[in-house]
Amino acid sequence: MSGPNGMLYGGDEIGALVFDPGHHSLRVGYAQEDTPKADIPAVIGVGPATHIPDAEEKVPDGNITQSAAKTGNELRHYIDVTEIHVPRPGMEIQTYMKDGQVDNWDLFEKMLDYCYSKVIRSPSEHHPALFTEAVWTTRPAREKLAELLFEKYQAPAFFLVKNAVLAAFANGKSTALVLDAGASQTSAVPVIDGYAIVSAAVRSPLGGDHLAAQAKIMLNNMHIQMLPIYSIQSKEVIRERERAKYTLKNLPAGLTQSWQQYMLKRQYEDFCHCVAQVSENPYEERVAAAVPGVHHEFPGGYHQDFGPERFKLTECLFEQTMGAAQLVCSAAGACDADARPALWGGVVACGGLSALAGWPDRVARELAARAPSSHRLKTHAAPSPQERRFAAWLGGSILASIGSFQQMWISSQEYDEGGKGQLERKCP
Amino acid sequence: MADILDILDIEQPGTAEITRDSILHGDKMKKKYVTAKAARRPEGMHREVFALLYNDNKDLPPLLPTDTGKAYKQTKAKLGMRKVRKWVWAPFTNPARKDNAVFYHWKRKTDESKEYPFAQFNKQVSIPSYSESEYNQYLKSEDWSQAETDHLMDLCQRFDLRFIVIHDRWDRAAFRDRSVEDLKERYYNICGILSKVKTNPWSNTVTMVNGEKRVYHYDAEHERKRKEQLRRLFDRTKEQIEEEQTLLAELKKIEARKRERERKTQDLQKLISRADGNSAAANQTAIANDGMNTPSTVSSSIARRHDRKLHKKKLASQQRPMRAIETVTVEWSGIKFPEARGTGVWLRSQRMKLPPGVGQRKTKAIEQELRLMNIDVAPTPTESICKHFNELRSDLALALDLKNALTSYEFELQALRHQYEALNPGKTLTIPPSICNTSAEADTKPLGEIIDVVGSPGSHNNTI
Ligand SMILES: Nc1ncnc2c1ncn2[C@@H]1O[C@H](COP(=O)(O)OP(=O)(O)O)[C@@H](O)[C@H]1O
Repeated sequence: MSGPNGMLYGGDEIGALVFDPGHHSLRVGYAQEDTPKADIPAVIGVGPATHIPDAEEKVPDGNITQSAAKTGNELRHYIDVTEIHVPRPGMEIQTYMKDGQVDNWDLFEKMLDYCYSKVIRSPSEHHPALFTEAVWTTRPAREKLAELLFEKYQAPAFFLVKNAVLAAFANGKSTALVLDAGASQTSAVPVIDGYAIVSAAVRSPLGGDHLAAQAKIMLNNMHIQMLPIYSIQSKEVIRERERAKYTLKNLPAGLTQSWQQYMLKRQYEDFCHCVAQVSENPYEERVAAAVPGVHHEFPGGYHQDFGPERFKLTECLFEQTMGAAQLVCSAAGACDADARPALWGGVVACGGLSALAGWPDRVARELAARAPSSHRLKTHAAPSPQERRFAAWLGGSILASIGSFQQMWISSQEYDEGGKGQLERKCP
Repeated sequence: MADILDILDIEQPGTAEITRDSILHGDKMKKKYVTAKAARRPEGMHREVFALLYNDNKDLPPLLPTDTGKAYKQTKAKLGMRKVRKWVWAPFTNPARKDNAVFYHWKRKTDESKEYPFAQFNKQVSIPSYSESEYNQYLKSEDWSQAETDHLMDLCQRFDLRFIVIHDRWDRAAFRDRSVEDLKERYYNICGILSKVKTNPWSNTVTMVNGEKRVYHYDAEHERKRKEQLRRLFDRTKEQIEEEQTLLAELKKIEARKRERERKTQDLQKLISRADGNSAAANQTAIANDGMNTPSTVSSSIARRHDRKLHKKKLASQQRPMRAIETVTVEWSGIKFPEARGTGVWLRSQRMKLPPGVGQRKTKAIEQELRLMNIDVAPTPTESICKHFNELRSDLALALDLKNALTSYEFELQALRHQYEALNPGKTLTIPPSICNTSAEADTKPLGEIIDVVGSPGSHNNTI
């Protein structure tokens, strides 16, 4: 913190935790670290606590949080991939997120329990907690979160920051136009001097989920069957585009619809990550065909090369009216004219979807075509996809470990005195 | 050094030389050469061979590579002299916080607990405050209620006068929407009024210059206009920007053409004035009577300077503007022949040599003309022949220039006519015969007219 020569370095770590709840996953970890400790899917499997003779079940299983005693028809909550991805009869997949904010608080509590007990493995009362939130998070949701942290988890201190602001910080900027392409939506939020301009924030529902849905449609049209990977017992090696030969597993009866759909969605996402690519310019069959194809093998064993399709697939993200570039334009346009040059000079791309191959280049190109010629446009994207995906968390990690930030926390004393009403004032 | 001593078999005094090894193994410094003196090297045996047989502890060299086992449990490196200082997870309070909350951080156990160092960064903007009565007395406004003003001041404090953010967080449910400029205007007004009536000035809006208070004045009207202009500039559509760009390009083209035309006019004027000047030199009296009326004679003396450039028309740049010069004394034109040079004897025929400034082409053309007139290209250089011959050739050069200029203008006129007809199909541009020179007539035309035609914008502007 302070050096021998009286110099003062910026960091002072106080053991704070950073939570970044998203639609796709929840990122959690210690401030001052460079990656989150865990990236947990933002869904929870809820099922009856009936015992199935299953290999994993026999071992005393840490990942299962029990809502109550093991008796009767109590519900159990299954959290994180190792638990969720096991086929269990009657297990429904539920999410606690809705429209960018936490909606189902009971489920979210289960998630936080899991984070503290299995990821952090340290009592919650020892760690100040910094949460990220979407810009349009409503006041009741914010206050509810503060209440939960202080009253249930006895956190010594709590703070809420808009994720766009943190993403800007992670890119070393306090003024930026943050373009966040997440799972359920893409948003553009102007940030000025570390404050998000809420009235100018815009979003569109074109996100990773939309892409996965498009992938499903595309594969259907190509008559390629996406078999659930958990249903495959074994498969044979076949030649390209041959009919798949596989044997099915004996699955327990009563798998729920929601679980099956969730598992398939993960597979479509996976397909997108592996195969989909964004072309530099609007899709053109001729150009796309010139690029070497990508080979993909489906769970059933069927495999083939994907050529121009993989470029065509991503075009749905660049629709004229709702594409990322359009969002940036309208967000910048809604800002005060004095702020616009700075915003155009610092467009920051982040979010999981920006990890898609070619996505940042395409966005930069479209922006260059649309940006007013009177502004100097500069697009920033962290070089590594991980950094882009975790931009908001990273920003939180940086912020919570800065010495001069330590005065900003809402401490439990303050909360006891002032109640949750002060949240709006303290966390702008 | 040690190696040399080894080789020379010179015993070393037991110095404690500092090597990495001695640091690593600390006190267990090996005592060398304790028993080394037992075997001496036989005469003629190589040192290396001897070293294989007898090392320091007289063991035979191992036949197989062996592990002494020591390498794996080397003692830890001792790098510092002092003991490591302990870090502890210690509580601290931050004076920048008002609630005395206790957080924990790592610090050296030995560090005395001083004030939290980062508290020094806790800087706040000072915002003027007012009491209820002060508000009623000084700050009342038709446009602003007190609640709204309070809200503004509160936001100013919370967001440290970042007016764009304040504008964003403005409570639109309770108060009507206001522009950034409205907010700034109100705030700076209040600052101004309060700093006049109250004693403590607010550092950020009041500066003391020579003991005199200067209050920052916010010119809201100007700011609004500026913002509006900025907004318009930024909100131009693509088409508007493109249009502007093409218009600017057109403007540039027009200006370039205008400049070109002016240049030509001037060139021509110079030529004409020179021709005029020649005649003026011939009959000075005539000029005194009516010469001043024509613009050509006026500029004749300027023309003299630049006639060299006429040979390369392109080179000529913007000429200086015409000035009226009274004295019309032209003793020279066309080619300037050098005066007698140097000392000593020289051939008179030297005086008839064309100066080097006259180009090859011109020389050829002049000779051609001379031949047409049946005049010897190298006449006998008597005094008078020399003089007349030079004058003749000078005039010829001028005549050639004029002819060239005429044909180029003629050409341009025709080109413009064709252009006009191409642009307005069906119409023909009848060029008034007064302009329509044939080269034969050119000499007889009054010079003033030619200038007028070229200079008048009429026909040229059609093409732009
Ligand atoms: N390497 C990748 N390539 C393409 N898409 C990716 C990649 N990694 C993550 N994604 C997509 O990004 C989305 C998750 O983005 P994220 O920013 O984590 O969302 P949220 O903030 O809503 O949780 C998912 O839809 C996922 O499919």
